[in-house]
Amino acid sequence: MANIQIENLTFTYPGRERPALKGVSLSIRQGEYVALCGRSGSGKTTLLRHLKPVLAPHGKASGTVTLDGTDIGDLPQRDQAARIGYVMQNPDDQIVTDKVWHELAFGLESLGCPQKTMRARVAEMACYFGIQDWFHRDVAELSGGQKQLLNLASVMAMQPEILILDEPTSQLDPIAASDFLNTVRKINLELGTTVLISEHRLEEILPAADRAVVMEQGELVADAAPRDIGRILFEQNHPMFAAMPASVRTFFAVGGVGECPLTVREGRQWLESAIPEPVRVPELPGKVTFTGEEPAALTIREAWFRYEKDTPDILRGVDVSIPEGSFFAIVGGNGAGKSTLLKSVCGICRPYRGKISVFGKNVEKYKNGSLFDHCLAMLPQDPKCLFVGKTLRADLEEMTKDPEKIAQAAELCQVTHLLDSHPYDLSGGEQQRGALAKVLLTEPKLLLLDEPTKGIDSFFKDKLAGVLAQLRFRGVTIVMVSHDVEFCAKYADLVGMFFDGQMLTTDTPRSFFGGNSFYTTTANRMSRHRFRNAVTAEDVAELFQKNQEEKA
Amino acid sequence: MRRDRFSAAHPAVSFLFFVGAILLSGLIQHPAYVLAGMLCSGLYYCLLNGRKSWKRIFWLFLLFLLLSLGNPLLNHQGNTALGHIFGNPYTLESLLYGASLAGVLVSVLLWAGCYNTVMTSDKFTMLFGNLVPALSLLLVMVLRLIPGYFRKMRQITGSRESIGKGSRTDTYAHRLTEGATVLSAMTSWALESGVTTADSMRGRGYGTARRTDFQHRGLRSWDWALLLFELILLLGVATTMARGGTAAVFTPEANYAPMTGWNVPGFAAYVLFLLLPSVLTVQEMIQWQISRSRI
Amino acid sequence: MKKSSIATLIMLFLLIPAALYFGDRLPGKGYYLTGTLMTVFALVPFFLSFEHRKPQARELTVIAVLCAIAVASRLAFAWIPNFKPIFAVIMIAGFAFGQESGFLVGAVSAFASNLFFGQGLYTPWQMLAFGVAGLVAGLLRKQKALLEKPWAMGLTGFFTVFLVVGPLLDTCSVFLAANELNAKAVLGIYMAGVPVNLSQSVCTFLTLLLIGKPFLEKLDRVRVKYGMMEAGDGL
Repeated sequence: MANIQIENLTFTYPGRERPALKGVSLSIRQGEYVALCGRSGSGKTTLLRHLKPVLAPHGKASGTVTLDGTDIGDLPQRDQAARIGYVMQNPDDQIVTDKVWHELAFGLESLGCPQKTMRARVAEMACYFGIQDWFHRDVAELSGGQKQLLNLASVMAMQPEILILDEPTSQLDPIAASDFLNTVRKINLELGTTVLISEHRLEEILPAADRAVVMEQGELVADAAPRDIGRILFEQNHPMFAAMPASVRTFFAVGGVGECPLTVREGRQWLESAIPEPVRVPELPGKVTFTGEEPAALTIREAWFRYEKDTPDILRGVDVSIPEGSFFAIVGGNGAGKSTLLKSVCGICRPYRGKISVFGKNVEKYKNGSLFDHCLAMLPQDPKCLFVGKTLRADLEEMTKDPEKIAQAAELCQVTHLLDSHPYDLSGGEQQRGALAKVLLTEPKLLLLDEPTKGIDSFFKDKLAGVLAQLRFRGVTIVMVSHDVEFCAKYADLVGMFFDGQMLTTDTPRSFFGGNSFYTTTANRMSRHRFRNAVTAEDVAELFQKNQEEKA
Repeated sequence: MRRDRFSAAHPAVSFLFFVGAILLSGLIQHPAYVLAGMLCSGLYYCLLNGRKSWKRIFWLFLLFLLLSLGNPLLNHQGNTALGHIFGNPYTLESLLYGASLAGVLVSVLLWAGCYNTVMTSDKFTMLFGNLVPALSLLLVMVLRLIPGYFRKMRQITGSRESIGKGSRTDTYAHRLTEGATVLSAMTSWALESGVTTADSMRGRGYGTARRTDFQHRGLRSWDWALLLFELILLLGVATTMARGGTAAVFTPEANYAPMTGWNVPGFAAYVLFLLLPSVLTVQEMIQWQISRSRI
Repeated sequence: MKKSSIATLIMLFLLIPAALYFGDRLPGKGYYLTGTLMTVFALVPFFLSFEHRKPQARELTVIAVLCAIAVASRLAFAWIPNFKPIFAVIMIAGFAFGQESGFLVGAVSAFASNLFFGQGLYTPWQMLAFGVAGLVAGLLRKQKALLEKPWAMGLTGFFTVFLVVGPLLDTCSVFLAANELNAKAVLGIYMAGVPVNLSQSVCTFLTLLLIGKPFLEKLDRVRVKYGMMEAGDGL
């Protein structure tokens, strides 16, 4: 039994006027899989934390949360800990001990579980999650995906009835994220554990969920079956609609007649029946933006690099030329060396062979930091690496004393209202833009971005895209490394595939993703049997309408 | 991970051994004992570290020679002059005294090296985890955090370099403040991450009951046997020490307790004690060869 | 002052003379044995009091974070040989959270650092000496004047290391290195320690000057934001 009943829950953080949760009522039945959606700051985390009293934030609360009829605050501490499992966003920070086995046992040790039972349970969990191969390892050696799986397993070792996951995959690459979500699905199906998950990757969880709940400014605005949630949001003209899966967005963009497709497979079937063969307009006109004749902002010739004398090469003869004024996206698998490539441009890693030139000049010839003065700058993967001050303003002042310039950069990155906040009080997307403002104060002509969309939701991605568009308008060349194929497809001019230490194909997003069948966007996978180069939901909708017009 | 019968025994067995070995090596200056200490520690060190150990053994041997031969240059006491250097007598007693001190140092260093290989942090927490649960958890947490902090500091340094901060050509004062800035940024990050860690601990029931220990185990009969054996041998050595059987005086005339009577079994106990881990390791090696030949 | 601190201070004052007295009556390097035993005894009250308090998750985490920072801090100044900011970080822990936590952070970071870089006979001595750095800082935390000015804080660090921590570590060398305990040899070792101690003191001074105040502010921030470690004296 695990029926959660939330009634009229209202919560206000100390010193705030506006409540973070406003009259939330929700009931979750035993064994349900509920997806909680909403943009950053809509109160998802606050709500989830109220379901686990030891993690509930301090503040003024009213309303009740009950578990099987008992007020959740009245449950003995032990029960709270064991019955409600909670997995948080950051894979690294949740790990307490130094060894995998110890982490798995941590919860049971804390509950004072007898050793014999503990050993059996830990062994069970290790097998269920496929952890037995790395059971004796140091946690420091694990990848992000493995760490998050370990966090899930260590929570599951206590055999909770309810599993709460707060954006568990936001820090993972797409493959690890998909693995993780599949495991969650498996737990729900095989063990009957109730799952309540907040997540940005709706494409992956909506098909698995029994119910989707949407929050906005601390209120529940929709609570429906996943298939119906798209229509509700579309009809309300709700901003959350933009975060829906590509199939849902395409479906409603062209009228939304019939049953809404949720997955790629359903999307394919829907297109198949809606657009009969032969397709009249099979492709969009390709834009040729860069011919290869332009001067290059960045040229890399035959670059080879390895971290230690006797470790394998990470860069294996990279050859690429990035035209001035372009927005160039580098995609590729995890650990392929994409970030290393950016680091080698910045001189953090020095290739042992090959040549890197920025604006036609060898990077080795830039002396006394002139490379980073009005020339080149990089936004690191973790924006927190750049924060050293007490406020964002102090951080920007580290770069320049000119208040005018600071104001401009803040304005451009839309962080003016956050200048006096502590950088660590900002949300992921705000930190990202704050760090970008700091980077921009070097007034770079070539800007390198390492995974800028990691862990931020679709609204913040759009905001970031807006900032980048303005920079491009000013003539800044942007090179971005990313796992986020949707973002690259939507905004980049050129996409290059990085694989096995080399730059393989480089092309416009439409030809690049249009030509791939696995490594491509969901919109493309859904439509590739009908359209040749539709890579975003907008592309698919556009072609769909063109075909309808032709037919008419 | 090595799995001989000594390292695989309860950590109390290894711990008692190392405490005993290091203390006795440090206390006894009798040449026979010192020589036995050097040989036994060297043997176990080689068994543990294989081929890698030769380099260290070589340096320690050089250190031994340097200290032994050097002592008579500084200390001129002793009756038997072997010659004169810079007008001072170079005496046999002083040479022997130097060799004995150097031998003590070398064996203590070698035992400490073995200790670091055998007594891993797991074993340490296994030994004390039940006795002092909070402290041993604290230690485990610190060990978990350190590698992450090293990595984070490198990331911060790299990130700052790529916006033109903290270049390697700056003045010393600049680089010093840059170091402080990096440390300070790392601290902010560490403290914020710590809040999540604490939440994760509370979320998993930390503090709701007296902690039990996953790896703690009681002593098995084999562990008891080893412990008892160690204690008997230690007692034997201690008795010999108390009876003056390990006494050694170097100046003005070298004079050691003779190897006769009850002093002989005392010395044998010492050697046996020091050989214990090596014997168990070798036995395991042979056993393994035999078992493997049956695969 | 807590009982445990008093107990440790008494131990400390009894430590050296007792070690010398008994040491003289054991053969060989007996004084090292007694000295080390005393050191271990001096550590025990603190450890037990920590254990007894049943620290909560946040307290335990903050202490673990500070210990790990103390050990890792060396990397930030890796380009200066022998620059060790560890004492500065330990003392900040003492300034912020009182003598008990200060001592604990010192002792545990010494131990953890030795686990990374190799244990030795000096381990208990280092634990004690590093712990005392935190203890002294914790005792001085009520002297607000010392904490307000960065240079005053730096000087506090300088003298603590030069007059207390350094000599304690030298005592370990005395026991380890001296062939015989006579005034001349002992004095020689303490004198030989002076340049090293001086350089460590300068490091501590510089580090506290640069990071002391910002660190205390950061600790205050987490304390306010997350309601950590709210008790007055100690924890």
